[in-house]
Amino acid sequence: MARRRGKSSDLSKNNDETLLWAGLATAGVVSLVVIASLALAPIVSIGPEEGNRAPDFVADAYNGGSWYEFRMSDIWDWDWDGNSSDSKWILIQFIDTDCPYCWEEGDEMSQYHAQWKDRVTFVTVSVHLNIPNHESSKSEIEAFRDLTSFGTNENDGDGCNSGRDNCNARPGSSHQWTYVDDPSNSIFDQWELGGTPFSAILQPDGVVAWNKLKHQGQGGDGEDLPSALQRLVGDS
Amino acid sequence: MMSVLSLELGVFIAGILGASVILQKNYQESGGEGTKGVITSGLLFTTVGIVASGWTWSIHNSLMESGSSSMCASEGLVQCGSVIGDPQWNNLFGMPWGVIGIASFAVIFFVLMTLFLDQNAKRSPQFVNYLWYLGIAGIPFVAWLVVVELLLVEGAPHICPYCTVIHLSMIGVFVSAHFMKKRRANLTW
Repeated sequence: MARRRGKSSDLSKNNDETLLWAGLATAGVVSLVVIASLALAPIVSIGPEEGNRAPDFVADAYNGGSWYEFRMSDIWDWDWDGNSSDSKWILIQFIDTDCPYCWEEGDEMSQYHAQWKDRVTFVTVSVHLNIPNHESSKSEIEAFRDLTSFGTNENDGDGCNSGRDNCNARPGSSHQWTYVDDPSNSIFDQWELGGTPFSAILQPDGVVAWNKLKHQGQGGDGEDLPSALQRLVGDS
Repeated sequence: MMSVLSLELGVFIAGILGASVILQKNYQESGGEGTKGVITSGLLFTTVGIVASGWTWSIHNSLMESGSSSMCASEGLVQCGSVIGDPQWNNLFGMPWGVIGIASFAVIFFVLMTLFLDQNAKRSPQFVNYLWYLGIAGIPFVAWLVVVELLLVEGAPHICPYCTVIHLSMIGVFVSAHFMKKRRANLTW
């Protein structure tokens, strides 16, 4: 008898109400789970906009000695109370070692670092823009940061600044901070960027406090990076 | 340091064990009662999967908020912080795996609930096939996430206990679906 139940001829007509009740039961269970999950821990706004938590990432980074695995949130002070001056702010800069504007900005960054290094942690993310003569590599990033020889001073595509210069000719002094390699441009994409150079200032707890595009883009108030550092971090 | 075995984890493990016992008792029993038992075990596996996915989503949100979570240990081999809190691996197209888990198990829950409410409806063979394909589709994701835990996250290997509960739930769903398919083929539905 039991075996006969399996024959399709023994199956009864579909009842649409069954689907309705199954749908309602599913919606009920899912709603309960979602409400409980959000009650336990609400969604955190993550993104490049000011007031949001900056996108976290894990990537290869170079500190002047070696490459290592770097996680952005490891330098955040999650317990920052909003006032403490013991915690360091964070300046995140995006460059392409072959971008001429980033090449020029090298000098300004050296000056900002000299002025604010005690109160601001600098992090540079080196992206690989998909532009002719913008091929980059870890060796090129090292040379750009350290001002060591890489490429030639001929406009032959070999070196930094669209392959026009040896990396050791970059304006400014060597950069004594962490350089992150972003070969797939995934960090660049998380920050919803269209080009380089770009910079943002993060509070010590990782919340975006100043986004260059908001201030220097269309409709912005024109505030530049040193003014923002002065306003947010104060005198070095 | 927070103990690895918490009340919530104990409840999830009890759910998995309960579903396994129901499945074991019913998978060979022919007829409608046996079928109902197998469907019930699948529903229990799925419920554990949905709730545990929600739990990992909460852990993810609290890690994003404060860098730590009171809902799971964040140090050692067995922990969640380095797995659920990993920005590189705990996402699929920017969505945390907990949310993907809730959505996936919700679809499975709907199919199973339809079978549970009317196991002899004409649509049953078709829905059993859907369930089996959903179960099959889930297995590569489980395998991939185990590889991520053991090899790819920062400081690997790590084992996230709640993730493991979800993986076991998905395997349980697949096994239940397999027995349902077998029951249809053997005419013991």
